Amino acid sequence: MSLTMGTPKPFALWRHLNKLRWLSLSIVFAMLVALPFIHVYQTYTAAHAYDLLAPAEKQLYDVMETLTAAFTDDPAEDLDAIKGNTWSGSFFGLQLSDPLAVAGQMAAGLKLYAPFLLTALIPVLFTLVLGRFFCGWICPATFLYELNTNVSTWLARLGFKVGNRRFDLRLKYAVLGVGLLLSAATGSVLMAAIYPPAIVGRELYYAIALGGFGAGAAFFVGTLLFDTLVARRGFCRYLCPGGALYSLLGRYRLLRIRRIVENCNDCAKCNAVCEFGLDPLRDHFGQECNNCTACIAVCPTQAMTFVLRPTDFPKQGPGHLGKQYRRAHPDQGAH
Amino acid sequence: MQRRSALQRLIRGAALLAAASLPYGVARLLAPEARAQNHNREHNREHKRNHIRPPGALKDDAAFVAACIGCGLCGEVCPPRCIRFHDRDGGGKVNTPFINPEDKGCTLCNKCMAVCPTEALIETPLDEIDMGIAQIDRAACYPWVDRGICGACVSVCPLGERAIGFEMWNQYRPIIKDGCVGCGLCVEVCPEPSLPIWIVDRAEGTVARHTV
Ligand code: SF4
Ligand code: SF4
Ligand code: SF4
Ligand code: SF4
Repeated sequence: MSLTMGTPKPFALWRHLNKLRWLSLSIVFAMLVALPFIHVYQTYTAAHAYDLLAPAEKQLYDVMETLTAAFTDDPAEDLDAIKGNTWSGSFFGLQLSDPLAVAGQMAAGLKLYAPFLLTALIPVLFTLVLGRFFCGWICPATFLYELNTNVSTWLARLGFKVGNRRFDLRLKYAVLGVGLLLSAATGSVLMAAIYPPAIVGRELYYAIALGGFGAGAAFFVGTLLFDTLVARRGFCRYLCPGGALYSLLGRYRLLRIRRIVENCNDCAKCNAVCEFGLDPLRDHFGQECNNCTACIAVCPTQAMTFVLRPTDFPKQGPGHLGKQYRRAHPDQGAH
Repeated sequence: MQRRSALQRLIRGAALLAAASLPYGVARLLAPEARAQNHNREHNREHKRNHIRPPGALKDDAAFVAACIGCGLCGEVCPPRCIRFHDRDGGGKVNTPFINPEDKGCTLCNKCMAVCPTEALIETPLDEIDMGIAQIDRAACYPWVDRGICGACVSVCPLGERAIGFEMWNQYRPIIKDGCVGCGLCVEVCPEPSLPIWIVDRAEGTVARHTV
């Protein structure tokens, strides 16, 4: 630890944002699991036929009643306050939709429907400022993908070969383009079928309320395998059409991460931890960074911080250890 | 020796039996279905009569599929849980909603129309909802074939006299009227296994033509 006097220090709480992010991911995921149960409970109460319920249904009824009685007088109405999933949902009267849902529906129908367009306004505004934050902070698939990354890491420690191939990050923009074209050609919102957050929300609902997973679940397991066997977080990095749309919208995001070169000691932990395979160590975040703050949390010398600027901080070269080394050995050139 | 002849006798017997039953099998294959096709559940299923869109859905199904984003919200607010989702196998109309009245009919509560974020389901006044119209097969419905008094369909209908009632001259034979919006509650409740009552497109069914 040799933080020289006067070097900028990041705000101390930034390091803890990653925990907050996990809290946020967990809450969203828990909501997606809870909502179908709430819905099933609502249908039981609406039927006014407690005595006719099967023992398992009675149990569910009792549990849900105990959990919700404190907040509701009328489950049929009150528990409707939050409905849906991250693809589209209503939140205390506010309708919110994924911008990809709006883009896909515009393409499929080849027309604009203003009320639905407006439901994406808030997510779009947030993305313009925060970049691909949805991917890091909200997406229910991210919750599972990051857990999957941990599993892969353990597998790797046990000696399994996990995939770490790299592809062109721009692949996903092609997927987005082709997806929109196909939606327009077929007249149906096709991307919902391959978009992990939409799949996760939908499949949880199918499994809990309608009894049984659909084909989306198989596709999702396929992406998990792809992530483990071919490329870490590969679907999000290279293929996700929603990630592509968010990346494009967040290209000139105002809030971005910057490396404080004076503090950095080139340990490259940030690069290792970055789920999206970016290069924080060389000041390259690009439009893909989702402000997940994993690199801030992992940095041992507090060299990562937030800045307000619409483009990445210019390349700053190696950190202070590198600079010291080059000063000591000027004859060896860069690196 | 003894054993061999027993075996031979067995084979001969089996061959004889097969030859004798062949004409019967062929006759079974060629014979027309014992019952009229159009009040047969399987037939209804083939003709997608058990797949109707939720109330307030865009009439043009292509427009409906284009407008629906497959969010599942309509299913998630539906109190009787009658809304199911198409092609969970990932087919062409991926995740668009439908109602199978055979399974559960719609109670016309309006919640799905209110929650749909797109214009796939548009809030529609009760009388203008058009999910189809019920048809009754007079060759199968219990009272119509004089097999008893039923009227389950009439008593369950949320629209009452506007949509379904009894025939003037026979108190227990149900007839469909113009006000039927096709909610399918009658289909759900009908106890006759061959499903004599089902929902068709309004254009396809006429109030006058409920016989088959
Ligand atoms: S660069 Fe840092 S904040 Fe951005 S995605 Fe990678 S780890 Fe997360
Ligand atoms: S009107 Fe009510 S009962 Fe009918 S499909 Fe919609 S939500 Fe379900
Ligand atoms: S609420 Fe509307 S958009 Fe969502 S699945 Fe139902 S019909 Fe489709
Ligand atoms: S419920 Fe079915 S069997 Fe009974 S009267 Fe109606 S159509 Fe006939």
